[in-house]
Amino acid sequence: MSLGVIKPGLQTTLQGSPFSGHRHLGMPAAGAADCLSLALANHLVGEAAGAIAIEITLDDAKFVAEKHSAMALTGAASFFRINGEDQPLHKRTDIKPGDEIHIGPADQGCRSYLAVAGKIDAQPLLGGQSTYLGAGLGGFHGRAVKAGDKIQWAGNSEPDSTDTKTPIELRPNLSGKYIIRVTAGPEISALTLYSQSKLFEEKFQAGRRTNRMGLNLHGIVLEMENDDEMQSAPVFPGTIQCPPDGEPFLLGPDAQTTGGYPRIAQVIRADRHLIGQLRPGSEIQFVKISSLRAAEIYRQKLSLLTPWLGAVSLW
Amino acid sequence: MWREIVPGLESVAVQFDPGQITPDKASVLLREQLQQPLAAAVPQIEPITVPVCYDKIFAPDQEWIAEKLGMSPATLIAWHNNLSFTVTMLGFMPGFAYLRCQEEIAKIGRLPKPRQKLEAGSIGIIGNQSCIYSFSSPGGWPIIGRTPVSMFRPENTRPALLSANQVVSFRSIDIAEFEKIAEEQYSRELDE
Repeated sequence: MSLGVIKPGLQTTLQGSPFSGHRHLGMPAAGAADCLSLALANHLVGEAAGAIAIEITLDDAKFVAEKHSAMALTGAASFFRINGEDQPLHKRTDIKPGDEIHIGPADQGCRSYLAVAGKIDAQPLLGGQSTYLGAGLGGFHGRAVKAGDKIQWAGNSEPDSTDTKTPIELRPNLSGKYIIRVTAGPEISALTLYSQSKLFEEKFQAGRRTNRMGLNLHGIVLEMENDDEMQSAPVFPGTIQCPPDGEPFLLGPDAQTTGGYPRIAQVIRADRHLIGQLRPGSEIQFVKISSLRAAEIYRQKLSLLTPWLGAVSLW
Repeated sequence: MWREIVPGLESVAVQFDPGQITPDKASVLLREQLQQPLAAAVPQIEPITVPVCYDKIFAPDQEWIAEKLGMSPATLIAWHNNLSFTVTMLGFMPGFAYLRCQEEIAKIGRLPKPRQKLEAGSIGIIGNQSCIYSFSSPGGWPIIGRTPVSMFRPENTRPALLSANQVVSFRSIDIAEFEKIAEEQYSRELDE
């Protein structure tokens, strides 16, 4: 089975679970930037939460179906049209050969996930199949898809799952404003006390340089206590670092594994999927909590998701 | 237990799943593990010699670096081949190695403006630190040569050629040998 790419949009890649256990070799996580939307899309077509799906970024994208199949779209798209006819997001949709699938540009949020019933062909490596663009590995020949590419999968056009529509209360609410909970980073005290309080009290805007590696945060310039050079230290998706110019940046799924700027905060696991929906101009309020509270929130979130998604983890 | 164990230059981070273990328990466990003797945990790694072609086509910064160090380009190559480096860590990209040698070396700074694209295998140097670019990428290190050897092969049991703590030295090769090694590697990849 295959899906022909007519219009790839800004950046369309195959993404599923992140790579795990290889950061000490410099291998980033990669994987879906919004793991919650990915899991919700996959569930509607009977696939595992972390199965490979198609991640579409900001712009509209068009595909043509070449076989019967079932699909579902979640995330930021403003519409989902089959042959010009509007279909709801968060609902399984049947597709027949020749159908043109049009995914609308994101009005709010940044990324959408198109899941198909079946296993999408993607280059396997290191126990994963997601695309890591930085080194041209995994996914669809290690790159974003282009017009004319064909995304193939081993099909199963009639998923077993009877869950065809995401319950309203589980659908992420995308807006231009985000409250993101963080824990204090190991080098938080590199900031002056005044800047530490501003970090958690004032609002930031996502900057123009926004991609899967991360995004810069505008609005407040933070002051450093001193300009001591720091030795490169491990960083993760969701780490917020602050370089000497005082404009912090937030790391995304493709972030490198180590960094040399103070790690001032870390986005909690329960909220990390929101990073995938930040776009230039999004307003962000960071709220500081303890790591114990972060773990509690994560377990509460899982207990809300499990009745629908089954045993699931977020990353 | 740990999803990731990532060393930095002076620190280490572990990642755990808070759905499986609480932060308190993780912290106790980590402290216990840190008490245990390290000798058993660190595998002995054989030193390695990495072939490098120092031809000018691969070494855009060689001339000014040689000048800065008060050497001729030819002496620079012999000098670099005689240095013994240790891998301080892998990071930045899969298989990208940070190396350090004990020698006192005049400060060579990063480029004022990073290059948009460096080829995989490029050997960078800033003072007594060197690096090997594992994939084609932007980069700010001055470049004195290039190795044809792959630094990261995801299909291998040990995907990264180098490991933290490994002793690394360089051996000068000419363009013909560079191409031969590159070709052998390429045909091996096709076989797999």
